[in-house]
Amino acid sequence: MSALTFERLGKSYGDATVVQDVSLAIKEGEFVSLLGPSGCGKTTILRMVAGLVTPSRGRILIGSDDVTALPPNKRGLGLVFQSYALFPHLTVYENVAFGLRRRKVAGAELEKRVKEALAMVRLGAFGERYPRQLSGGQQQRVAIARALAPHPRVLLFDEPLSNLDAQLRDEMQIELKRLQRGLGITTLFVTHDQGEALSMSDRVGVMAKGVMQQFATPEDIYHRPATGFVASFIGKPNRLTGSVALRNGAGGTLSLGGGLKLPASLIDQPEGAKVDIVIRQEAIRLHRDGTETGALAGTIALRSFSGARVQYVVKLAEQVELVAEAPSSGPDSELAIGSSVALAIDPASVFAMSAEGTAA
Amino acid sequence: MIAPRHGLMLIAPLALVLAGFFLVPVLMMLPTSFAEYVPGAGLAKGVWTLENYTRIVTDDYYREVIWRTLGLGLFVTLACLVMGYPLAYLIARGPERWRVPLILLVIFPMMLNLVVRSFGWIALLANRGLVNNLLIDLGLISAPLKLMFNLTGLMIGLTHIYLPFMVLMLVAAIRNVPRDVESAAATLGSSRLHVFTSVTLPLSAPGILAGSILVFVLTISALVTPRMLGGPTYKVMATLIYDEFMQLLDWPSGSALSFALTFMAIGVIWLSSRLTKRWAGMA
Ligand SMILES: Nc1ncnc2c1ncn2[C@@H]1O[C@H](COP(=O)(O)OP(=O)(O)O)[C@@H](O)[C@H]1O
Ligand SMILES: [Mg+2]
Repeated sequence: MSALTFERLGKSYGDATVVQDVSLAIKEGEFVSLLGPSGCGKTTILRMVAGLVTPSRGRILIGSDDVTALPPNKRGLGLVFQSYALFPHLTVYENVAFGLRRRKVAGAELEKRVKEALAMVRLGAFGERYPRQLSGGQQQRVAIARALAPHPRVLLFDEPLSNLDAQLRDEMQIELKRLQRGLGITTLFVTHDQGEALSMSDRVGVMAKGVMQQFATPEDIYHRPATGFVASFIGKPNRLTGSVALRNGAGGTLSLGGGLKLPASLIDQPEGAKVDIVIRQEAIRLHRDGTETGALAGTIALRSFSGARVQYVVKLAEQVELVAEAPSSGPDSELAIGSSVALAIDPASVFAMSAEGTAA
Repeated sequence: MIAPRHGLMLIAPLALVLAGFFLVPVLMMLPTSFAEYVPGAGLAKGVWTLENYTRIVTDDYYREVIWRTLGLGLFVTLACLVMGYPLAYLIARGPERWRVPLILLVIFPMMLNLVVRSFGWIALLANRGLVNNLLIDLGLISAPLKLMFNLTGLMIGLTHIYLPFMVLMLVAAIRNVPRDVESAAATLGSSRLHVFTSVTLPLSAPGILAGSILVFVLTISALVTPRMLGGPTYKVMATLIYDEFMQLLDWPSGSALSFALTFMAIGVIWLSSRLTKRWAGMA
């Protein structure tokens, strides 16, 4: 049985449809992310689950209970807000105790569970403080402890890490994941950060303009994107325009302009169709002076060092440039601008999308 | 951030005006309050006395006026709070398109002259006023209710006049309460009523405090309305002070009463700030 189920869930504000018929089932103990650009309806979905927004269509089930019409206080969920939303007038201890008191937990049991929750987020010594006396990361952990303390059936997160600086964010990702694994609590996590979604989740739902594009494991999302949107949203994509030169089974050859040809293992469009071509930077292998067969030849136009990796802008032909990566300490880490290189591109990482404005 | 030196410069014009036209005259009244008043002659030269102050606490009549003033301030503040909060909540949280019309309605009475509004209440509350006439005509009462020249009349009039101040303060405070924090309480199991009492109300405490202090201070120092609705005999401190100065020409006594009123106001403000802070966890 699923822990959380959406059945054709939808939300409209007047004429504007913000969430369109989203159906999915989250398994007990699973960590699921909703990933998409800002404004695609992620928060709206989360707030519908929490009971803070009334759905226009469809149903929400927790376990086998239809909760679509229940008010938020009857749903038994834990919600962690992007803004933390701690009670500023209560101490950390009282913030965490809030949900427990609502469930009539009192006395020694209350104290035990508050301490337990604070210990889980390593804030055991901070009970007497007020939220304003804590750093952003600590406030976030209080918010998590507060949501966890009443043992919710499902835990909901709305971009909980986006207000933290990069290093803290990485730490919190791991900490959160460990916590979730340890407790085995079903989790729905909303984010616009693909790294976060891919690294933390058992499954990821990619959304665009209120429509669920693909709901699958991180590996499938990355390697087998279901739609052009997913292909161009995930990873670090190069975007080029071109057309389908040849169809051959499921795949074929794409024409890049400047007379360049590129094989792709999956093409949906017919021969001759204009397409947008997405090639992931990390799927391009770059070599000094190509002798490899099937490789594209080009010259280095720009080099940029970013720590573990080096990015090169490679010019293949007039108006055709690709960004490719290499490890920053290998043989290909110090190519000079103007040197000629060969690019080997995995056909499975080349995606053709119907060009904007043309029919698929 | 503004450096302290620049901060001083920013408030300098206001500080100068206040010092010159407010603080200095007030301080000039201080010696007067310790002077002795000789009926018919004015201030006795070179005689200093505490009599003007001791009389305020020992004289039954003064004591009665002081309690009446404090009671009036308290009642009016509470009445404004109880009636103003629901309205402020509606303005702050109700449909967007109602907001401006409702605020205009709240502000509208403030555009009418105070004397005119007080006369309006006389027409309504007098023995042969609209309210009494209506009740008698309906047969609900046989003799007119005493609605003027007493606490009831002053309360009604002053509550009406100071309600807008309270509402405007509360609207600002309620709009400042983060909705996410209320939503958080709801997901943690709070009913709508509990969300209100445990989150919205304490988080709007700064507005409740500011509005209450404002209304309280305005009420205990109000002159025109108490004079008109209280008549020459039912006095509060402001009207008493006015009469001491202008009718009896007893400046020492009037000055002492003025300072007493000021210290009462400061005392009440201090006490209520402390209580509110403790209640709303702002300590
Ligand atoms: N109360 C509302 N009224 C009208 N439109 C809204 C309302 N709330 C959200 N929207 C719209 O719904 C869309 C999705 O919002 P949201 O779910 O917050 O997106 P996300 O969290 O993915 O950034 C946005 O275009 C937003 O403008
Ligand atoms: Mg959002």
